[in-house]
Amino acid sequence: MKVAVLAKEVPDLEAQVKVAGGGTSLDIEKRRVLNFFDEIAVEAALKLKESAGAETYAVSAGAGVDALRRALAMGIPGAFHIEDPALADAGPLTVARALAAFVQKEGFDLVLAGKQATDDEAGLVGPMVAELLGVPCVVGIVSLEASDGSVRVSRHTDTGVEVVDLPLPAVVTAEKGLYEPRVPAVTGVMKAMKAKIEKSSLADLGVEAEPGPKVLGYQPPAKRSAIKMIPGEPAEAASQLVQLLRDEAKAL
Amino acid sequence: MGLWVIAEAAGEGFRPSTFELLSQARAMGEEATAVLVGDDAANKAQLDGLAAKILSVSGDNLSPYAADPWVDALSQLIGEAKPDLVLFGEGQRTRDLLPRIAARLGVQAITAGMGLKKEGGYVVHRPAQGGKAYMDLALEGGQALVAFRPNSFATDAPPVAATAYEEKSVAAAADRAPVVERTVDAAKKIDITEAAVVICGGRGMKGEENLVLLEELADLLGGAWGVTRALVDASWKGADHSIQVGKSGKTVSPGLYFACGISGATHHIMGMDTSKVVVAINTDPNAIMFEYADYGITGDALQVLPEIINEVKALKS
Ligand SMILES: Cc1cc2nc3c(=O)[nH]c(=O)nc-3n(C[C@H](O)[C@H](O)[C@H](O)COP(=O)(O)OP(=O)(O)OC[C@H]3O[C@@H](n4cnc5c(N)ncnc54)[C@H](O)[C@@H]3O)c2cc1C
Ligand SMILES: Nc1ncnc2c1ncn2[C@@H]1O[C@H](COP(=O)(O)O)[C@@H](O)[C@H]1O
Repeated sequence: MKVAVLAKEVPDLEAQVKVAGGGTSLDIEKRRVLNFFDEIAVEAALKLKESAGAETYAVSAGAGVDALRRALAMGIPGAFHIEDPALADAGPLTVARALAAFVQKEGFDLVLAGKQATDDEAGLVGPMVAELLGVPCVVGIVSLEASDGSVRVSRHTDTGVEVVDLPLPAVVTAEKGLYEPRVPAVTGVMKAMKAKIEKSSLADLGVEAEPGPKVLGYQPPAKRSAIKMIPGEPAEAASQLVQLLRDEAKAL
Repeated sequence: MGLWVIAEAAGEGFRPSTFELLSQARAMGEEATAVLVGDDAANKAQLDGLAAKILSVSGDNLSPYAADPWVDALSQLIGEAKPDLVLFGEGQRTRDLLPRIAARLGVQAITAGMGLKKEGGYVVHRPAQGGKAYMDLALEGGQALVAFRPNSFATDAPPVAATAYEEKSVAAAADRAPVVERTVDAAKKIDITEAAVVICGGRGMKGEENLVLLEELADLLGGAWGVTRALVDASWKGADHSIQVGKSGKTVSPGLYFACGISGATHHIMGMDTSKVVVAINTDPNAIMFEYADYGITGDALQVLPEIINEVKALKS
């Protein structure tokens, strides 16, 4: 079985973000990591490698070297980087087209993506890749078991849990709870630093970049007005609070 | 041409997002078409007066819901009628459908929308960098599919004078990913992302046996209860990932949010900061959570919550 992981590089969750240029751009602290949900996807690929001898590789489009090094350090043997200046302003469909063209060329039985990226919170690229490859897709899986020619996956729905038998080839996206990603060993990190990351461009993949929607402006999060602290013993404070929620905040 | 809203049934009615999106379309003066696929059309009369047109779509493989046939059916319809804008309510189904329809048709796709206006073209407001900032995106020409988070719009725009009805049948592809087992969790009542009130608890709730306080207050206020990741990771009974609020859990945006015994870590704040009114209860007067709240009580949540429950009961009777 051949397993491809879509690995996106994103700002660290703790990275500082400031609106700059009078609302025309964002100033993002340079601390880049492998997307939280993609780490879970990497872990799932490694589990398939260890339990079923799957051949695994990771591919990243755009800025991606740090993300790929993390995947390598965790134990994925092959890393590929789609690098192209045109990706900077490209929309998700362009990214999906590039990734789909790449895994088509490289070969895959299963593509593992993250449920969403923590920067754009879009959740678009994984299922887009499935559609472009013409294969079925299950979004947000919390368990994964491989058998011959198919995988059995489950996901949370609004009302409970669904188990799906998914024939391969297919795409799945990883939700928290699927696996706890391993922390790479020092030897893994050393090896990843030296590993060769193969590059390709959009032209190599026959993909033309289309811009995403135009950003008109950025705003910082709205500030809350100063907090009202409610003093008193629990009973007194509770009574005050309920009154304020009803009469002042009109929230009850 | 025009604007479509993909309606989504829930139980005997529709999801709150269906009413929100239709109301927003009316508020913008659009003659919107509500699209109801398969079984979702059963209660279409409830949408009478809320949309200029109701389009019910039937065909093989469409009931019950399955991703492949729905992607196929909606792609055919959207590809033929070419509405400028198709609105979806964010949720499990939309996460299946929207990206795949967009990829099939080669049209723009935006998710996590929180606002929509018309200024020449359409402008979508959504978070940037995981909610550390916000942005406005212009849809300039071409078709776009946009998903909006629950509680993004009011539902009170005046009704339309008359609703036209249309029925269509489509040949939809078979499902390739069959569900072989479905377990229904009877305890799941209101989806936390849709709830108008969310009562959330953290480690300050002290033990799993105290989470009933969250549930009781949520039930009283017709809302949902949730937890921080700390409780999910500690495997407290009832604290499952589907009700975790925060960066690696659910994003909620209710009218009223209670943070009970929650320190206010960034990862948690990122999942609730767009809530309208926030109440924090914490024993530590310096808890960061107070910086993100409108009302605060310094105190023991286990003592304050029962008193709030009593007060709300008194208010309701
Ligand atoms: C990658 C990543 C993703 C994460 N994603 C999430 C996420 O999605 N959601 C999330 O919530 N967290 C998330 N976290 C974890 C987050 O950083 C915090 O660790 C977590 O939110 C803390 O939970 P807490 O507030 O319940 O616990 P604590 O931080 O331990 O806070 C407990 C609070 O309760 C107060 N307290 C104690 N006793 C009482 C009492 N009797 N009455 C009232 N108050 C009391 C204390 O003063 C304290 O402020 C994530 C972390 C990482 C690294
Ligand atoms: N540039 C990229 N390179 C590699 N994988 C990506 C890229 N963008 C998105 N993905 C994958 O698609 C998932 C969803 O991303 P998004 O649609 O941006 O929320 C991520 O978790 C990744 O698995």
